[in-house]
Amino acid sequence: MSTSARSTSVGSATGAPVATDGARPATSTAVRRRSRRRRTRWVGLAFAALPLAVYALVVLVPLGQSVQYSFYTWDGVSTPSWAGFDNYRSFVTDPVLRSTLGHVLVLICFFALLPIVLGLLSAALLTRTKQPGMAVYRWIFFLPQVMTTVVIALVFKRIYAPDGPLNTALRAVGLDSLARTWLGDFTWALPALGLIGTWVTFGFCMVLFISGTSAISPELYDAARTDGAGPVREFFAVTLPGLRGQLAVALTLTITAALRTFDLVWITTHGGPGTSTLTPAVALYKAAFQNPQVGLAAAIGVVMAALCLVIAVVITRVSERD
Amino acid sequence: MYVRFPDAAQGANGVKMSVHRRTAAAVAAAVALSLGACAPGGGSADKNDTPATVSTDVAAAGDVTLKLTNFWGGAEGEWIKQVVGNFEKKYPNVKIQATTEDWGQLNSTLNLQLQDDGGPDIATANNGWQSLGTLAKGGLVLNLDAYAKAYGWDTEVPTTIARQNRFTTDFTTMGSGSWFSTPMARTSLIGLYYNADKLKSLGIDPPRTLADLEAAAAKAKAAGEVPFEYGSLDSSTTVLLGVQALLADKKKVNDYIYGDPSVKATDVAMTDAIALTKKWADAGYFPPHFEGIDYQTAVANYVGGKGVFRWEYTGSLGLSAQQQGHFGYVQLPQQSGSGTVGVGAAPGAMVISAKSKHPDVAAAFLDYLMSPEAGQAAADHGLVPAMSPDVKVPAQSLSLTDESAAAATLDSDDGYVPYFDWSSPTMLDTLGQNLQLVLAGKLTADKFTAAVDKDRDAFLAGRG
Repeated sequence: MSTSARSTSVGSATGAPVATDGARPATSTAVRRRSRRRRTRWVGLAFAALPLAVYALVVLVPLGQSVQYSFYTWDGVSTPSWAGFDNYRSFVTDPVLRSTLGHVLVLICFFALLPIVLGLLSAALLTRTKQPGMAVYRWIFFLPQVMTTVVIALVFKRIYAPDGPLNTALRAVGLDSLARTWLGDFTWALPALGLIGTWVTFGFCMVLFISGTSAISPELYDAARTDGAGPVREFFAVTLPGLRGQLAVALTLTITAALRTFDLVWITTHGGPGTSTLTPAVALYKAAFQNPQVGLAAAIGVVMAALCLVIAVVITRVSERD
Repeated sequence: MYVRFPDAAQGANGVKMSVHRRTAAAVAAAVALSLGACAPGGGSADKNDTPATVSTDVAAAGDVTLKLTNFWGGAEGEWIKQVVGNFEKKYPNVKIQATTEDWGQLNSTLNLQLQDDGGPDIATANNGWQSLGTLAKGGLVLNLDAYAKAYGWDTEVPTTIARQNRFTTDFTTMGSGSWFSTPMARTSLIGLYYNADKLKSLGIDPPRTLADLEAAAAKAKAAGEVPFEYGSLDSSTTVLLGVQALLADKKKVNDYIYGDPSVKATDVAMTDAIALTKKWADAGYFPPHFEGIDYQTAVANYVGGKGVFRWEYTGSLGLSAQQQGHFGYVQLPQQSGSGTVGVGAAPGAMVISAKSKHPDVAAAFLDYLMSPEAGQAAADHGLVPAMSPDVKVPAQSLSLTDESAAAATLDSDDGYVPYFDWSSPTMLDTLGQNLQLVLAGKLTADKFTAAVDKDRDAFLAGRG
């Protein structure tokens, strides 16, 4: 306020003694306002400068370095040699690295699609009528989300063990033929890992959708019911469109989580048996820290970052379209 | 990563676009800037010359403080503490500050620590190209030839152990050339453990040959025991490599691992070894569902009394003093009958930082680590001593008595072969992954051997 008062008074002091032209004061005010806006912007940038500098230092510079490393063959110590696109090409030429992308697709089904479907279903069921103990359900299902992955992985390693609870339960009900070494089985190891992801992200999706549903205007439901819609019709006509924002959030977070899967695999199977559960993040870790292939590791990282970015952008764009 | 959610995207479309565009421009600028700079760091002038003048007179060096970074915990940690104490007592002018880090942690950061001016003078590296070779090539660790000459390491250390520490200075070959690290008066072998109580109750003598072992395994299986405690969930390769050492020619295995392209994996009995492993698996000699059992569980099971035999690295069972009386160890002789060959190496390669200001004192400490005193200290802590023929081992410890005897045999037979995964940085993964495929019946023994060759040959080709 004081700034504006001062600038007005300055304006009138330097302005013509007598306002002969009606338009003139208006124009100069506009100029002044624009310059004030410009100053405000500079002040804003000055405030943002430090965080921006930190961001550049800890995010942009390493990002740039990773991109740079990805074009070299480098053991991390001795002189690097230029590799061109060779590191990126290995996604095509190396069958093992290529297979990691397929594994990620499977994991996306388990980390993103399945939990979202289950989350929508449970949210629709739980919000239709007020149930006693709702908060307890929510708390129980959300719990995996706040647990450390290491703990979850160790627990499930025990559950999936040859004589673990899962096989014991299967044998107890006479399903001996279904009991197997889940994490040591070439066919079942990846789905078994995927189900851990489903268990973790399901509660998160559910809580997100429940809060989203409660924000939908009850009048829409009343209107739908008046028009004679049943529960299924109501879900597709009112609930689902109303949850578009939450769906975008859930998809983005769960898909990127699937892409980045590392600790779960590292603790349970190390990418085995064979390479049947190897993910890009595990391949990256092995290349960067176990075998001196820093360039390849950087290329894997860049590809993963690019995929995450593309997925986020696509989901945002699609969900915003009317 | 800049991720925006629809809830937050309430602003006008134009504003949003310009924010996106500006972020993109900033990223592009940052990328362009870093790309504009020259090649990535490292690549300091490769200084691989050995010091011109060296002194073995530690007492004359004045007051010296050395930093030692190692990856030894537990009994090994106690051992190094005692050895450091003994050395400081011998040379009161020397102080050694020892730091212990987790094995994986140290392996992945040692190259950075050695580039730091305040980094360690002495460190434990991992043999092979993956760690030691890379450090030597980058000029981060000292060429020790002058010290090898001054202390006579060339004559005192068994050739098959000495080779594990040598690289040619053009860094095309491991196993010959200059010394870049030293072993110590300890060793880590792969061999066969047996549960002495079980053998007694089954009426079987400890096996002396591979044929004995197969007969014993069949007898144990018939009696309802698990012959070999083993789990392949995290691709343990000890069975395979233990068996290979019994079947393969010592010189050829060494040549293969040290990168002689004319030797192929079939020449080092890889196909026979994997076929025998698979045969044992098919015969039910491994525990039921072994493919779902991880390494730790298998070790715990064995120590807890499941299984009769186990192929294992010495010292890895973590036997208590009391348990050591109930487990024995054999280094089986070669099937051909020509002496004993075993997979073995020092449990760490001792390096001196190229930045160390007191390399003479550091080298004296490395020499002391190979002394019989250090070997006796190892035996006192229940660790397997090497290069110490007169070492005294507590008689009640069956496993340590056996292990020490095995090391002594390998020392005198000069019968060490290195860990097979030194042949290329990715070999451990290749062995483990393909072993799981073979055990699941998804890969033949021949294809396994071909995959091993392919991995090593690709590495040799890449190194030029």
